[in-house]
Amino acid sequence: MQNTGGTKITIKETQEKLKNGDISPEDVVSGFLSRIKERNKKTNGLLSVFEDATKEIKKKDKKLPLYGAVFAIKDNILIKGERCTAGSKLLEHYIAPFDATVIEKIKKKGGVFIGKGNMDEFAMGSSTENSAFGLSRNPLDLERVPGGSSGGPAVAVADGMCNAALGSDTGGSIRQPAAFCGVVGFKPTYGTVSRSGVISMASSFDQVGPLANSVEDAEIIFNAIRGKDEHDSVTSSLIKKKVKGKIKIGIPKEYFAEGMEREAKETVEKAISKINSPEIEVVKISLPYTEYALPAYEVIMASEVSANLARYDGIRYGLEFDRPAAKTIQDAYLNNRGEGFGKEAKRRIILGTYALSAGYYDAYYVKAQKVRTLIAEDFKKAFKKVDVILTPATPTLPFKIGEKIEDPLAMHLSDIFTVTANLSGLPAISLPCGKSGKFSVGAQILANRFYEDILFSVAKKLEKIWKQ
Amino acid sequence: MINKKELEKLAFFARIKLDREEVSKAPQEIEEILKYIQKLSDVDTLNVEPLFHFPELRNIVREDEAKTIDKDIQKKMMGMGKDKDDYLKVESIL
Repeated sequence: MQNTGGTKITIKETQEKLKNGDISPEDVVSGFLSRIKERNKKTNGLLSVFEDATKEIKKKDKKLPLYGAVFAIKDNILIKGERCTAGSKLLEHYIAPFDATVIEKIKKKGGVFIGKGNMDEFAMGSSTENSAFGLSRNPLDLERVPGGSSGGPAVAVADGMCNAALGSDTGGSIRQPAAFCGVVGFKPTYGTVSRSGVISMASSFDQVGPLANSVEDAEIIFNAIRGKDEHDSVTSSLIKKKVKGKIKIGIPKEYFAEGMEREAKETVEKAISKINSPEIEVVKISLPYTEYALPAYEVIMASEVSANLARYDGIRYGLEFDRPAAKTIQDAYLNNRGEGFGKEAKRRIILGTYALSAGYYDAYYVKAQKVRTLIAEDFKKAFKKVDVILTPATPTLPFKIGEKIEDPLAMHLSDIFTVTANLSGLPAISLPCGKSGKFSVGAQILANRFYEDILFSVAKKLEKIWKQ
Repeated sequence: MINKKELEKLAFFARIKLDREEVSKAPQEIEEILKYIQKLSDVDTLNVEPLFHFPELRNIVREDEAKTIDKDIQKKMMGMGKDKDDYLKVESIL
């Protein structure tokens, strides 16, 4: 019997093999399980593994669109009856009482789950070094980070532990690790995918999306999980489509400016020069407010984080410490949150508390939201001229473990090319566009809000060009 | 801009107890990020509205229904900590 684990395999390929009778459904899961057994100790992509996926896959109807597809799920997405930690000590013992909407949808459409992916605590970080349950390692080089915060899901897909994964993206947390690990990562338009049952970080940015081995798989998964949901009050089923005609790709000069590592920059430039198709026109554009995107993101994100993480008091979600109980409820909160949150979470909560405090609210929070308007308008103007925008996904190749963990600002700069999509609510995909040594380099494609259709169509064309 | 005393005050507002190392390191780390954020003051935002919502999205309202947790999941929740019988053990706070 053919074993599916060990090499990257798309949902489409697995389905094809099942259809032809080359493998049985049990083989699909057991292949991945044996790969996990062999590799997870080294890369630590998964925090928990579901052995009973073998039983689950046999129960599924062969006619379902996701039949045969095996998923890893980021550990901030609730699967009923399973532990859900969000990479935090504060949620070490938390068992999810219900399924997230995206999990319900994947179950109904035939997919099964093989485990939960490691992540930076509460999705805050760009390297997965902020997990309370140990760091993950990049399968392409075990001394380097896989990116973050969806580092575990990216590792699981890149290391052949599953067909695909679900992650969450607040400032690049799907796209950056996908780029670092050499897989495809997609952040949908804000509001297209429900966040019900997803642990909140910054609510005006958070979106759930797929990490996959091909653009086609990412599209299949997106179509399975998208849609209005009464449990997430800002969801919509809106779909917008481009009228036929030549595709225009805009290259914004601001994304190729200072601070970019030479190897990454050259690989993306080379990839752009390969785009030579009669249906595609490449034009230079400008997004002048780009340099203010990360500062605006920092303020809004930290503010929303400080509000969302206020619910973790160490009491309701069951944290236990081996020390005498506090004398007052205030001391209990101070102790539990002080011991429960990691360094990065604490920094961001304190920064957000500062930005939202009386006297600073207008100067920081409102100011940042105004700058956000200008950044969104940059894109609005650009999309009058072009259909999609192409940029590098990350400013550097995967960095070494420990290299940036003591320098929070340097770490945050990893997201410099990805935060603009979250600020403006745009759909954005990162996909491998070339190699630099043993590392894969990611390009990012952005489209206007709700124009996933054109985004996937261009991404599939470019994927084909860049694979040649 | 942020000194140790101010930091401790903010941490208290956020109900986070910081250890000694954090109190000595955090002001500088936060200061560095604040300096970076200062860049925003270069932008002229006169007559610019803040982007609090995207125009395509409208609030969805629904009835608030109470749901019960499945017995088997409740059992699983119980087993994780030092719980007893049908009760989840939490820190005593009164």
